[in-house]
Amino acid sequence: MANPRPVIQVSELLMLSAFRAMPETQLEQLAAILVGQTYAPGQLIFVESEPSVGLWFVAEGRVKIMKQSLNGRVQGICLMNQGKCFGSCPLFNTGRNPATAQALDNVTLFVLPQEQLQHVGKADPNFVAALLHVYSQRLESLARLSTSLSTWAVADRINDVLLTYADRIESQRVVILTHEELAALSGTVREVVTRHLASLEKAGTVRIEPGQITLVDPSALTLPCRFDDGELAVT
Amino acid sequence: MNMAMINPDALSNLPTFLSLKPATIQHIARLAQVVSLNAGELLYRQGAPPTGLFALQEGRIKLYRQSRGRVQILAILMPGDGFGAESFSTGAPSPCAATALTAVSAIHIPPDALGQLLSAHADFQELLLELVTNRLKQFVTLVHDLAFRDVTSRLATVLILRAEVEGQPSDEGIVFDRLLSQQEFADMVGTAREVVYRTFKRFEEDGLVRMTRSTILIQDLDTLRSIASKKPVKPPDICKTNHPM
Repeated sequence: MANPRPVIQVSELLMLSAFRAMPETQLEQLAAILVGQTYAPGQLIFVESEPSVGLWFVAEGRVKIMKQSLNGRVQGICLMNQGKCFGSCPLFNTGRNPATAQALDNVTLFVLPQEQLQHVGKADPNFVAALLHVYSQRLESLARLSTSLSTWAVADRINDVLLTYADRIESQRVVILTHEELAALSGTVREVVTRHLASLEKAGTVRIEPGQITLVDPSALTLPCRFDDGELAVT
Repeated sequence: MNMAMINPDALSNLPTFLSLKPATIQHIARLAQVVSLNAGELLYRQGAPPTGLFALQEGRIKLYRQSRGRVQILAILMPGDGFGAESFSTGAPSPCAATALTAVSAIHIPPDALGQLLSAHADFQELLLELVTNRLKQFVTLVHDLAFRDVTSRLATVLILRAEVEGQPSDEGIVFDRLLSQQEFADMVGTAREVVYRTFKRFEEDGLVRMTRSTILIQDLDTLRSIASKKPVKPPDICKTNHPM
C-alpha cells in the first residue's frame, strides 16, 4: 500500500497548474483536505474498473495511465508528470476507473478523496473550472491517440511518443522510458520499438544509452499530424 | 446552416437537460439558439476556435478527427447527446470535427453564454462535467478497442450497438437505417474500405447480416455477439508489478 506523507503546504499546491489561479484562502482549504501519498516504482495506484476513490495530483515523479486487454497486453494512454492531474469521473458516485494507474518512478501524489470532492466540486465554480480544464486536455489527447492508433504507421507513433515524453535535462532532450514502455505507449511490441530505435540511431537522430534515449536531432522525428489542426484551420 | 430562436418547451423535453432546474432551463432558453443542418453539412471544423455546447434534438452527427486525409470517427451522436464543449475551458482549437449524417436540429449555447451559465448555476456546472466525463469514458473505450481488438470484432460491435439503440424487430431479425457508407464504417473501426467490404461480405455469407442501400438487417445477433466478444490470441507480455496492492 501507499505510504502516507506529512501535511501539505499551500506552496506545494502552487506548483500544480490546476490550482495556480485559485485564491489563497481556497488553497488553504484544499491543503487541509488533500492527502499526500508516496509510491515506489512499479506500484499500482489504482486498477481499471474498480470504483474510483478520488482525484490525484502528481507532486513528484511520473505515473503511467494504461488499459490492459484480457490476455495482459498493455496500451499506454499517457504519462502524467509533475503538475498533472488524473483520476476519473469524480463527481459521480457510480464512477469506476476507466484505466489503470501505475507509478513509473518514486512518486508523490496529493489525493482529493471522493467524498470531499463531491462537496468541494459542487460548491466552487473555480474548482469546477479547474476540473473542466483538466478534462478538456485529456479529451484532446485521447482523440489524438485514437486517430494515431488507427491512421498512423507504427514508426510515426513511436516518434510521437519520443517527442511527447522527452524531458529537458540541461540542454538535451532525453526520454527516460524502457523499450517496453515505449511499445505500450505507441501500441506495438518491444521488438518493433528496438528495431526502429536502432534505425534512428544509425541515422544519427537519437543516441541510445543505458536507461535513456537522447534526442540528438528532434527535428528529424517527423510526424504525419504536425500540421493537422493548422491546415484545417485555414479556410 | 439555419438558426432560429428557441422554443422553451424544446429544452425541458430534451434528455440532455433533464437534470437541470427550471430557472437554469429558462436562462438557457434566453441565451441559446436552434441550429438546423442538411445531411452532409459541416457543423464545425477540427482546429476551429471553441464552439460552445450543442445538444442534439434530431438526426445523427458524426464526430471525427482527420490526419493527412485519413479519418477516424470518434462518435456517432444521437438525439439527447451533448457535444462541442471539448475545448471550451482550455480555449484550444477543437480536437475534432462534426458533420451531419442526416438532417439535424440542435440547441446551440455559444461560448460566452456557456461562461455565463457556468458561473450562475451549480446544476449546469455539474451537467457540463458529466457530459465531458462521459465523452472521456467513451474515448477511453475507443482507444481500448483500437489497440486490442481486431477489425472483425470491432465491426461486429458497431453493428450490435446500432441494433441495440436503433433496431426495430422484423420477421427476419432486427433492422435499422444503414446511415453510414462503407467508407464511414471503415473510418469508425479504423481500417480501409476494402477490409470492411470483405468483412461484411463474410458476415453476409455466414447468414449473420443482410445489407441494402438504405438498411441493415441483423439476422443472427447471438453469433455476432460472440464474434464481438472474441478474446484476442496474443499471449501476455508486459504490465508486471512487483508490488502487491
